[in-house]
Formats: sequence, C-alpha cells, structure tokens
Amino acid sequence: MIIRKVWHRVVLAAVVIVVLGGGFALAVLAGAFEKSVVSAAVDTPLSPEEIAELAPKGRYIAAAADCVACHTAVGGAPWAGGRPFEMPVGTLYATNISPDPTYGIGSWTRADFHRAMRDGVAKGGRHLYPAMPYVSYRQMSEADVDAVWAYMLTREPMAVPDRQDSLPFPYVRQFMTFWNLLNLPGNVPAPDAQKSAEWNRGRYLVDALGHCGECHTPRDITMGMMPSRYLEGAVIEGVDAPDITPEGLARLGFAPDRLAGFMRSGMGPEGVMGFAMYDVVHHSTQYLTDDDAAAMAAYLAGEPAPAAPVVAAADLSPETAANGRRLYVAVCAGCHGIEGEGTPSMAPPMTTNAELRLPRPVNLLTVLADGIPWRDFPHGRLQDMPGFSDLLTDGEIADLSNYLRATWGGRAPDVSAADVAALRRARD
Amino acid sequence: MTLPTTPLSLVVNGRQVGPIDVPDNLMMVDFLHEYLNLTGSRLACGQGVCWACTVMLLDTDGAPPREIRTCITGAHFFAGKSVRTIEGHAERDADGNVTALSLVQQAFIEHFSFQCGYCTPGFVTGATVLIERLKREPVARADVESTIEAALAPHVCRCTGYVRYYEAVRSVILDTPGLVVG
Ligand code: FES
Ligand code: FES
Repeated sequence: MIIRKVWHRVVLAAVVIVVLGGGFALAVLAGAFEKSVVSAAVDTPLSPEEIAELAPKGRYIAAAADCVACHTAVGGAPWAGGRPFEMPVGTLYATNISPDPTYGIGSWTRADFHRAMRDGVAKGGRHLYPAMPYVSYRQMSEADVDAVWAYMLTREPMAVPDRQDSLPFPYVRQFMTFWNLLNLPGNVPAPDAQKSAEWNRGRYLVDALGHCGECHTPRDITMGMMPSRYLEGAVIEGVDAPDITPEGLARLGFAPDRLAGFMRSGMGPEGVMGFAMYDVVHHSTQYLTDDDAAAMAAYLAGEPAPAAPVVAAADLSPETAANGRRLYVAVCAGCHGIEGEGTPSMAPPMTTNAELRLPRPVNLLTVLADGIPWRDFPHGRLQDMPGFSDLLTDGEIADLSNYLRATWGGRAPDVSAADVAALRRARD
Repeated sequence: MTLPTTPLSLVVNGRQVGPIDVPDNLMMVDFLHEYLNLTGSRLACGQGVCWACTVMLLDTDGAPPREIRTCITGAHFFAGKSVRTIEGHAERDADGNVTALSLVQQAFIEHFSFQCGYCTPGFVTGATVLIERLKREPVARADVESTIEAALAPHVCRCTGYVRYYEAVRSVILDTPGLVVG
C-alpha cells in the first residue's frame, strides 16, 4: 500500500516536471522571457527634417559600428548585404539594409530597426542570428540607433534580393530565444561614476559601437561571449585575436597615447594591423575623431593603465640563435633592418613589434608562411611582404620564429618544426 | 671597424664561386656587384617593390626555378645554392663573348620591348622563370595572357607601357612547343 503511494508520487512528480519543463521550454520558445530594451519613444516615425538632420551623425556612428564590413559585400552594391559567413552547419549571408521597400528595410518602422539592432529581432518577429552583433549593439543609445536609421533611410535603395542561408533548418531561428536567454544581457550597464567621462565614452565605443568583444572575448560552449573572460583574446579564422585587456595591451607594448594612433592609422612602431583588423581599420577605426580614438584607447588601456612590463630577450640555444640570425639577415633584414629597426613607410620594426610579443606563435607563423598582401592604409599604401613557405623548410621557419620571438618579443623559443608542419597541414 | 664575415660558396651561372669571405649582413645585389663584378642585376628601389634586381634560384631536384629579389635577400641565403644572373642567359664562347641571346632576350629586342633598359634584367629573369614553369605545367591557350600578366605584374618599368614586354613573352610562349595545351 505504502509502496503504491510512493510510486504514485514519483509518477506525479515526473509528470509535473515534464509539464513544467515543457511549458518552460515552450514559453522560452515563444519569447516569453525576452526583454526588449527598446522604449515606446521610438514608436513615432522620424520626421523628414529629423532624418535629414540625423543622417550625417548616422554616417559616423555606422562607421564606428563597422556596419559596412558585413552589409556591403566585396564588389557588391552598397548596403545590399551578401557577405558570407561560413559556419560548420552552412553559410549565412548578411542582409540588404538599404531602404529598398522590397529587398531592403524600406518597409520597416523606426521601432523595427531599433528592435533588430538592440533585441536581435527583425521586422515581423523574425529572430536574427548573433552573427549580427546585437548583443553588443544592445548597449547603443536610442539616439545613436536613430542616427543610423536616418542614415540608412537616406541611402540609395538597392533592389538586390538577400541570398538564401544554407542552414539545414530554417526554423532554428526561433530557437535563438534560448540562446538569447543565456547570452543576451537583460540590461544595459550604467555609466561608471568612478571613472572619467572619457573612459565611459571609450567603453561605449568599445562595447556598443565597435563590438570589439565579438572577436576578442572568448566564447563558451553555447557560442556566447564569456563575461568572465572579457576581451582576453580568442581564435578568429585560425589566428589569435589578441588579449586586449589593459594587461594584455601593456604586454604587447601599447601605451594609451600610441594605441589611439594605431587604431586610426593601422600602423606604428607596434607593427601593422593584420588579419581581420586590417578591414576594421579600413572601414571603421580610421574614421574615429581624435577624441573618440583617445577615449577608446583610454578605456582599453585602463584607468590607470598598468605599467608596461620590460620585455627582455628570452634565452636561445647557440644553434637556434645562430641559425635564426642567419635566416633573419637572409630574408627579413633587407626590409625590417639589420637590427630590427624597420624602414619607415616600408616595413615595421621588429624591436617593438606586438606580433612577436603574443603568447602564441600562430599569427607570426601564418605571416611567415603566407606573407601579407599590399595594403591601403589611411596614410599610404604599404607594400606586400612575401611568404616563405616555399622558400624555407619547416625547421628554418621554426628557428626564425624562435629567434624573432625570443630576441624582440621576450617569448620562450618553443616553436618546433612539427608545429610549423602542423600549421601547414591545417592550412592546406 | 671590421665587419664580421663568413666564407660563402655558391654556383653562379654554372660556375663554382668561393669560398669568399663575405660580410654577414651583405645583401645579394651588393655581393654580385662588388665581389663578382656582375653588375647587370639592377638596384633600383632597394626595397623589394620593382623587381629590377631579380635573379633565378635554380633548384637542383628539378623543380622550376624561382625568382628572387637580390636587394632584400642576404648573400648568405645563397650559400650552397645555384643562381643565374642576367649575365648567364645568353650563350657565350670560350672567351666569354655572347654568341646567341636567349629566346626571351631576343624577343624583347625584336618587339622593341624596352627603352632605357634599366628594368630589363628583371623582366628577362621573370619571363624566363615563367617559361621554365610552363615547360613543366603548360597552360590553356585562353589563359596565356592572364598568366603572363600575373607572372610579370610585380615588375616595374617606368619607360614603357608594358605591352611590348608582354607581347614578346606571348610570342615566345606561343612559338615554343609544349608550353600551351589545347
Ligand atoms: S631593387 Fe630589388 S626590387 Fe627594386
Ligand atoms: S625600359 Fe626604362 S624602366 Fe623599363
């Protein structure tokens, strides 16, 4: 009798759990836990006068937020989308955000635009994938979103249809509600009264507009940014997006005043903006005002900035030192200088080069293997750097990178020929 | 002050050279000019953008030769290697007099490819490396022009419009059996 009662209770409890759990899941799926940060103030459309007045500011905000990098494909129509994002399960394409009524966002309301930018929900309640950095843009002010909205409305409409995603299940979109529950912060952080106005402006530029964390903050198993490891660096397209915390930047040799210049010009004693950051300079940070670049740098470098550690050369075995030096003179010194001093307007110095100071050698090894194509920087074109994967053996590339990192980066010479070979295989 | 030196041996235009004590930090173009009196490789930009200074790096195991910029490559990089400079393209008699130009050199003259000629050693080198590659990996006829453009694109010429260089190379490619398929 007693056993039967217990049994009943167990079954009852299980039913309750399943019903509650299922109900909860359905509620999440239906968006019951979604919290919009968009206010009712944006329900009224902007007047034509407001649009005309806000558009120039919107151009600047859109540059600082680097919208164009994704929403204009290379060689594609302006703002017509099309940039592909290769994912393990398929390819996503950035959408047309020109004001075309059929193919773009011409039929959207002001509130639709705000919700897309800050809640990750497009017109009609369609959930965006977080390739659109709405987790970051959530922190944008309504005034700035309005400015971007006005700017977009004043662009040429482009009758270019969106490319179809090749994801296997289109209805996955609605499951973004679960992802958002885990990864989309409910609230926008308030300004920090302990810090200067410049620092707070810098945080806004870094977190809301520049969405730096989307690449520089590691992601957890759900692919959400890990708040506990904010800006500590992550792997992007096979190379390291460096640790840009104050300590990380100090270790790379960036003084706050220099960092502002580097963000705008893309080059300096610390080297040349490489990989995806070249495009960021090209489309975005070169356009920052003096004040905004300084604010971004002040925030990233920390207030107060930690003292820059002295980078002392690491020990090298005599053989590696001799062979590395020989290879450096053979294929690097012609441009980067016999003592690593660099050549102005041509090749950055090695002595202060941030790439040699990174904890992992993968970025250096990638550059040594592939070289760098010629690049248009704001202050002029920079010639290409040849790659050496065909000219040097894996052992030679290992010796050379150990020499470079130990001599000028203060990093232990721990690259082996096998590491170089593994990277070569991974890239082939 | 004495510069630290290291003995250097290499093969230049088929001839064994060295060992010669060569400063560790000397660039190859200076070694060719100052130590071997091979002054045909031109130093122009000195920073790797004009390709006037290139030489052929010959591979002993049959791979196609490579074009290397000597202004930014150290002399000691070539230790134990074999190179062909512009002086090594034509055929010569026992006294060193030129008896026949190479196909590429001859074509450049016939097409009036150059004016001042400062860039020409680099173009001869680049075009010859291309021809050697096509002997191993022929291209389709439709791709000949784009292949020439890609191969010679880094070479800078301040006098000409490049067209006569490219036309000369095209005629060599089309007239030499086995470089084009289809
Ligand atoms: S002189 Fe060597 S590339 Fe210009
Ligand atoms: S012929 Fe004068 S630079 Fe080419």
